[in-house]
Amino acid sequence: MGYRITKKENLSAIDFFMEVEAPHIAHSWKVGQFVVLIADEKGERVPMSVYHAEDGKIGMFIRRHGVTTFKLWYEFDVGDEIFSITGPLGKPIEVKHYGNVVFVSDAVCAQAESYATLKAMKEAGNYTIAIQTFENAANTYPEKYLAKSVADEHYLTTEDGSIGIKGHYLDVLKELIEKDKVDIVFGGGKLGSLVKLAELTKPYGIPTIVTVRQIMVDGTGMCGSCRVLYDGEVKFACRDGPMFDAHKIDWEDAIKRNARFAKQEKLAKEMYMAKLKEKGVI
Amino acid sequence: MAKRELIKERVPTPEVPVEERTKSFVEVNLGYDFASAIKEAERCIQCPPEYAPCIKGCPVHINIPGFIKALRENSNNSNEAVKNALRVIWNDNTLPAITGRVCPQEDQCEAPCVMGKVGDPINIGKLERFVADYARKHNIDEELLQEFANNGENMKGKVAVVGSGPAGLTAAGELAKMGYKVTIFEALHKPGGVLIYGIPEFRLPKEILDKEIAKLIELGVEIKPNYVIGKTLTLEELLEEYDAVFIGTGAGTPKLLNIPGILLDGIYTANEFLTRINLMKAYEFPKYDTPLTIGKRTVVIGAGNTAMDAARSALRMGSEVIIAYRRGREDMTARIEEIHHAEEEGVKFEFFLNPIEFIGDENGKVKAVKFEKMKALEEKDAKGKRKIVGTGEYILLEADTVVIAIGLEPNKVISEEATGLKTNPNGTLVVDERLMTSISGVFAGGDAIRGEATVILAMGDGKKAAKSIHEYIQKKYSSA
Ligand SMILES: Cc1cc2nc3c(=O)[nH]c(=O)nc-3n(C[C@H](O)[C@H](O)[C@H](O)COP(=O)(O)OP(=O)(O)OC[C@H]3O[C@@H](n4cnc5c(N)ncnc54)[C@H](O)[C@@H]3O)c2cc1C
Ligand SMILES: Cc1cc2nc3c(=O)[nH]c(=O)nc-3n(C[C@H](O)[C@H](O)[C@H](O)COP(=O)(O)OP(=O)(O)OC[C@H]3O[C@@H](n4cnc5c(N)ncnc54)[C@H](O)[C@@H]3O)c2cc1C
Ligand code: SF4
Ligand code: SF4
Ligand code: FES
Repeated sequence: MGYRITKKENLSAIDFFMEVEAPHIAHSWKVGQFVVLIADEKGERVPMSVYHAEDGKIGMFIRRHGVTTFKLWYEFDVGDEIFSITGPLGKPIEVKHYGNVVFVSDAVCAQAESYATLKAMKEAGNYTIAIQTFENAANTYPEKYLAKSVADEHYLTTEDGSIGIKGHYLDVLKELIEKDKVDIVFGGGKLGSLVKLAELTKPYGIPTIVTVRQIMVDGTGMCGSCRVLYDGEVKFACRDGPMFDAHKIDWEDAIKRNARFAKQEKLAKEMYMAKLKEKGVI
Repeated sequence: MAKRELIKERVPTPEVPVEERTKSFVEVNLGYDFASAIKEAERCIQCPPEYAPCIKGCPVHINIPGFIKALRENSNNSNEAVKNALRVIWNDNTLPAITGRVCPQEDQCEAPCVMGKVGDPINIGKLERFVADYARKHNIDEELLQEFANNGENMKGKVAVVGSGPAGLTAAGELAKMGYKVTIFEALHKPGGVLIYGIPEFRLPKEILDKEIAKLIELGVEIKPNYVIGKTLTLEELLEEYDAVFIGTGAGTPKLLNIPGILLDGIYTANEFLTRINLMKAYEFPKYDTPLTIGKRTVVIGAGNTAMDAARSALRMGSEVIIAYRRGREDMTARIEEIHHAEEEGVKFEFFLNPIEFIGDENGKVKAVKFEKMKALEEKDAKGKRKIVGTGEYILLEADTVVIAIGLEPNKVISEEATGLKTNPNGTLVVDERLMTSISGVFAGGDAIRGEATVILAMGDGKKAAKSIHEYIQKKYSSA
């Protein structure tokens, strides 16, 4: 028994949208929580953020990254079933009235979280601001998948300036902070950017809550793969996070730990690509 | 009755040769065949059941002389012999293929065996395993299941079992046999608990577990994987739908060493290491998608079953392996058979070494472990082990892979969410003598109430809780 795919749509040159039937998760998912999915019986358990949880379905934005995500893109279509999906995992974030809430994002998981978080924050009466950064125009999503509909103010930036504002979310955020328009920042995406984000908001004392992406196995706190150093203490990102106060994370170690399997992943990806080429899929 | 001659030595069980087994994950011990099982059974002097020390040594009190007698009595009809023996075992233990393999027999049933006073104790574990394996291979367990299954009408009542380790599987099986409608909720994508993610194939082939689970399904038990209770559904939601709940969520949270360098790449908890290998089949990467990096030299910290399993797995993945333990040889807690196999396979042991720092290279990868040398005092601690103290002398062991196997504690996913559930300071759930928790209708057993214990104790709890749940539900409906 698997979990049926109900929608699949390309988002950009590298990312796609997939929605699967998972009533058990949709029933209880809250903002800040993620899921773990397995594509097929031989698959790896991979964590994914949630774009929406509605009508018994979970929508996700997925980057064509390596074997699992390639499989999902090339071998699975609407009507097919994925092997497993578990959740919701991790701690929800507190949705309440903060004032002006900004969500910053520069990678696939965070683009999904931007929509999900700001939707809830807007419903809780906040003034919502989304700053969504993409590498370039080709990697940018169609408008309906941006967080525009749930943001009172929306900024689209590209690093090369091919569409939207040229620059990074950090640049836009800096201006907003200087205009005194920011009460709290939520964010996620590239860990390197999150380090800079933490440095940017710290002197202003702006609370900054971000997704600390770590390599996971179970996602429930039983393996310690996802451990990070938080305020000098070992925490498990899947169980105690994945959203943490950015000012308290030991970022250097967190970034290093994320590359633990880079060599194996590259090898597996190359082998998989070769198989796809052989089959004439790509 | 003619006086039997005492045969002091055990009938041996064949094992896969070292050179062969260290290159694969095939099961090491091959067990008895019928003829040799009968020979071993003949050694038992049949102590009367009311006195037999082996029965007292077994935590679930299997009638050991009884099942041995059943084997012997039908030595000319193997199917009949095994069926009768299995019937005796099943009265107290429904998973003998598993316990026969993983029980620490030397501390339990075999420890007090009277034959041990004159020679080797009876090989009760291997006999138990033989009965179960033979029954499985010849479908005798299927026949017997009809006898044990509830043939009458179904019981009124639905039970939710949380967790599918030995505690949950046993509770579910017992309740299903009584005629209750049982649903197991399991957080992972496959049932089995430690039996599937922790204990390796070379000790417990997964086909055994698959068959046990198939039997439960045949009894009408529904298994829902990918359900984390406390997250996917709350305990309260379960109680709205079910008459009673059994919590068998185990002790799955790894303890970490609170020393510098714990975040370095190459350092795994035993749970991560073993889960990648067993549950996710990383030893078959890239045929399976889950990777595992393993270097040339692995240091495993700890000396329990978990440490042995990690060490022997690392060895099979091509690494040189050292087990470093802070106490002495006689204090190791693993099963003797596993320590023996590990040594045979070339795992090296270093004693009286207490880790104090992990040392990394410029890329954040571990390259050595710094230990303080320890020494033992005469004085014993609360657990009866000799106390150890530091000597102020240090040594470095080079390692590019480290596995930390220093223990596990209960997972708090449920107790954090269900605030009415009382826990002890160590995280175990508080239960009364019926195994009922502080919430009425919610029962618990196994590692969730004991901390790290054993498979057979978890099964014993599952069985006891099933009985309590039955009484609870009967009372509920009769008073309604
Ligand atoms: C809380 C959380 C939320 C996430 N949300 C999303 C999302 O919404 N969309 C999305 O595309 N990706 C998301 N990711 C990352 C996603 O899990 C990886 O992209 C995925 O594992 C890649 O698998 P692969 O086989 O395709 O690629 P691989 O080649 O295996 O890996 C590519 C990169 O993904 C990361 N990664 C690999 N395996 C894991 C793993 N088991 N756990 C975590 N990271 C891993 C590593 O940094 C790696 O370098 C999230 C990760 C976490 C921890
Ligand atoms: C590597 C290793 C080797 C061992 N070797 C031996 C041995 O040789 N002999 C021996 O007797 N004992 C051994 N043990 C100990 C033994 O395995 C345990 O005592 C036993 O498995 C406990 O059984 P349990 O049913 O209580 O829990 P577990 O087997 O731990 O099963 C608990 C199950 O509950 C699930 N779960 C947890 N939380 C939730 C939740 N919130 N919702 C849903 N599901 C949940 C888990 O995923 C798991 O599947 C070993 C342990 C390990 C780790
Ligand atoms: S269940 Fe374990 S302790 Fe009891 S008889 Fe069997 S092997 Fe021995
Ligand atoms: S104690 Fe030993 S000899 Fe006596 S009945 Fe038990 S197994 Fe047989
Ligand atoms: S992923 Fe295993 S503990 Fe977090």
